[in-house]
Amino acid sequence: MTTQIQKSSAPEHDFPAPTISPARGARGAALRAGAVQSLGIAGFLLVLVLVFSASTPRFLTGDNLVGILASVAFIGVVALGQTVVIVGGGFDLSVAGVAPLSAVVYAQQVNDGRAVAVALLLALMTGAVVGAVNGLIVTKGGINPLITTLGMLSVSGGVAFTLVDGQSVPIENFSAGFMAETNLLWVPNQVWLFVLAALALAFVLRFTVYGRSLYALGGNKEAARLAGMRTDALAISTYVASGSFAALGGVILASQLLAGDGNLGKDAALLSVAAVVLGGGSLLGGAGGALGTAAGVLVLGTLANGLTLMHVSTFYQQIATGVVLLVAVGFSQLRGAVSGGVR
Amino acid sequence: MNEQPVEFAPLLVAAGITKSYGANVALAPTDFTVGAGEAVAVLGENGAGKSTLAKILTGATRPDGGTVSVAGHEVAPGSPRDSLHRGIALIPQELAYVPQLTVAENIMLNRLPGRHGLTSRRAVVAAATALMERLGLWVDPRIPMARLGVSDQQIVEIVKALGRESRLLILDEPTAALTEDEAAQLYRLLGEQRSQGIGVVVVSHHLDQVRRFVDRVDVFRDGARVFSGPPAGPADLIAHMLGPGAEDAGSARRTARPGPSILEVVGWTTPGRSGLQDVSITVRQGEVVGLYGLRGSGTTALAEGLGGRRRDVSGTVTISGRSRPGITSPRAAIRAGIAYVPADRKRDGLVLAQPIRTATAMLVLGRIARWGLLSANAERAIASAYAGRFRLRHSSLDQPVGQLSGGNQQKVLLTSRLATDPRVLVAHEPTRGVDVGARREIHDALRALSDAGTAVLVVTSDVEEVVDVSDRVLVIRDGRIVGELIGDHITQDNAVHHAAA
Repeated sequence: MTTQIQKSSAPEHDFPAPTISPARGARGAALRAGAVQSLGIAGFLLVLVLVFSASTPRFLTGDNLVGILASVAFIGVVALGQTVVIVGGGFDLSVAGVAPLSAVVYAQQVNDGRAVAVALLLALMTGAVVGAVNGLIVTKGGINPLITTLGMLSVSGGVAFTLVDGQSVPIENFSAGFMAETNLLWVPNQVWLFVLAALALAFVLRFTVYGRSLYALGGNKEAARLAGMRTDALAISTYVASGSFAALGGVILASQLLAGDGNLGKDAALLSVAAVVLGGGSLLGGAGGALGTAAGVLVLGTLANGLTLMHVSTFYQQIATGVVLLVAVGFSQLRGAVSGGVR
Repeated sequence: MNEQPVEFAPLLVAAGITKSYGANVALAPTDFTVGAGEAVAVLGENGAGKSTLAKILTGATRPDGGTVSVAGHEVAPGSPRDSLHRGIALIPQELAYVPQLTVAENIMLNRLPGRHGLTSRRAVVAAATALMERLGLWVDPRIPMARLGVSDQQIVEIVKALGRESRLLILDEPTAALTEDEAAQLYRLLGEQRSQGIGVVVVSHHLDQVRRFVDRVDVFRDGARVFSGPPAGPADLIAHMLGPGAEDAGSARRTARPGPSILEVVGWTTPGRSGLQDVSITVRQGEVVGLYGLRGSGTTALAEGLGGRRRDVSGTVTISGRSRPGITSPRAAIRAGIAYVPADRKRDGLVLAQPIRTATAMLVLGRIARWGLLSANAERAIASAYAGRFRLRHSSLDQPVGQLSGGNQQKVLLTSRLATDPRVLVAHEPTRGVDVGARREIHDALRALSDAGTAVLVVTSDVEEVVDVSDRVLVIRDGRIVGELIGDHITQDNAVHHAAA
């Protein structure tokens, strides 16, 4: 039995208030479904691997598996940043502008003769600055995250094109390709980077005060504020994190292609959100996790790889990706509902 | 058992309805009838079966057995549509409306008058006005729903239901957010509908109000109806609800042992027509002070001010002799030693997806962490200590807070505040919509806290509560303290007299 009457004054949300007062505990039910989902996604990944292994002999080879990991490193890193924002109750579309911007900055700085490490740092700072602007607009300006980051997507993507006059800038210093070209134990650095970033983020979200505070912020902003948390600072920090992760993704892309280009990573915004949701994230905030997101990214990558090996055209792959997203999320909602929702 | 002088023509007849979830019997085979023009109260603690009954009657849940019929026509089981069609309307606790639309548009929402898919604002207002005039209920049809108070929103909901030619209204906890006056007004309006042959079922915790309004009371406990008859005294009804073995209802008032004053609020004033006017309050060690007032009287402004939610308060606060200027943020309030329990636990208090152990420790994360790393053991220790002390009904400390009943959610909210070891506890509507058992446990906890030296201020618009829990009662009206009750003078009559006179 619940107890509150729907108040006429809606609480402040980062998302537009639903036009009809939500059913009791709808948010809670969605979050619970998220928890179930993060378990389910690993099982789903396993099924995909088994199906593709049985269907094509070229799937289950060391080279191919490393290839999948290398192909998802970029979107994986971006999606990890997206996880932070979504857990905190926000949303970041600007990652698809930050990634090419940071790739361009990286390429230009390397070509200007700066050390690779310095160029990397400058690229990351670019992303952090865009993130900080996002965060300030959302918290202090009170503008919806969707609109804010859509605007910043356009701005940062535009700046990327402007910096290089719409051209692709080849990187002359080959050591700048260290992410993709250099291996440790037969596995390229970008893969290690993704794995380490996922583990580190999982640790932070799970075992630190900061991580715990983010879930509270995303789950109920006013409750977090009344609990004495600095909700604005926390929210800004999520956008800074997302911007930095997206910038790291941009450097990975530039490193793979040995070029900076305003056209890179255009599909990162929606793919990263898809991966977070596949991994148990909720667009209402307060749910999701780094390992779930990593599994979500791997599902998307494995699907693309397996279907390619089976000579399925990319058009059909696109359809399959959409169907998988809907089915996976739909199933977990269903299971959440059956196993007893939140009151 | 039924000693009623009046005989009602049967309107709703439910025969042998029963429902189980797995091994858990939610409702044992039950007969339930409501006559035309009859008002029935369904009482019971959470999990007693009253919600299940309401859900079966409205078709939200399909019963395992039994039938429901209205005026002789059997209702298709588990079909909300057919229940509605037969004239059964539920006014849920959490009203469903479109806040941006006007009252008239909400009333006429599913049957906007018009031709060829076009409708006009004027026609909608006219239709809604005609309907309200016919029913004798009135809310200005032109203003947006969001600007109405809860009681008016409820009236709109009733108009909506009756406009669909409903013959039976089921109201789930209709007065939880209403003041005494508004509740009385609501019941008066319902009474007028009854005289036109509408049957009314009220599902509630609010014994006193309900008792005065209904012809019959049905009490449910553990999935079975344990009492059905004319309304008895509250003590009897509570005894039925709690069952044998429950302790005596009345709590002996404690003799005041005034210690040093801990909380001193002096000269609080807030701007606006319904603001506070020079309000001063002192809470001493070892006493529970109740601040009672109707909604809009200033109770909310005072509670929120002490919680750091308002920046427009002028006046001073002193805690244990130390002046605390500028409690303008929740952080500042916590630093000053004030633990504030918000009135709306779901909107402002709890993160429903959080497990219990996390929720209990939410305000003391810094204390149970080293270098920013949380100690899972410390967290669990805090939660299990409080769960034991508050007799929290839960399956495990990892259970999400949202799965708990209202009373247990409120206990979790309270423990999260107590974990900060506050000097002052400001509990705003601490038992709103909470069942009788949990309510008593929460009141006991507040008294125990005061015994342990914390200054406890209970801010409430619930007169039963303020009389039950307080050692001293302050009554606020129109932003001013208008009365103080101590000892034997603490009665519901006196409190209401000051608050509403």
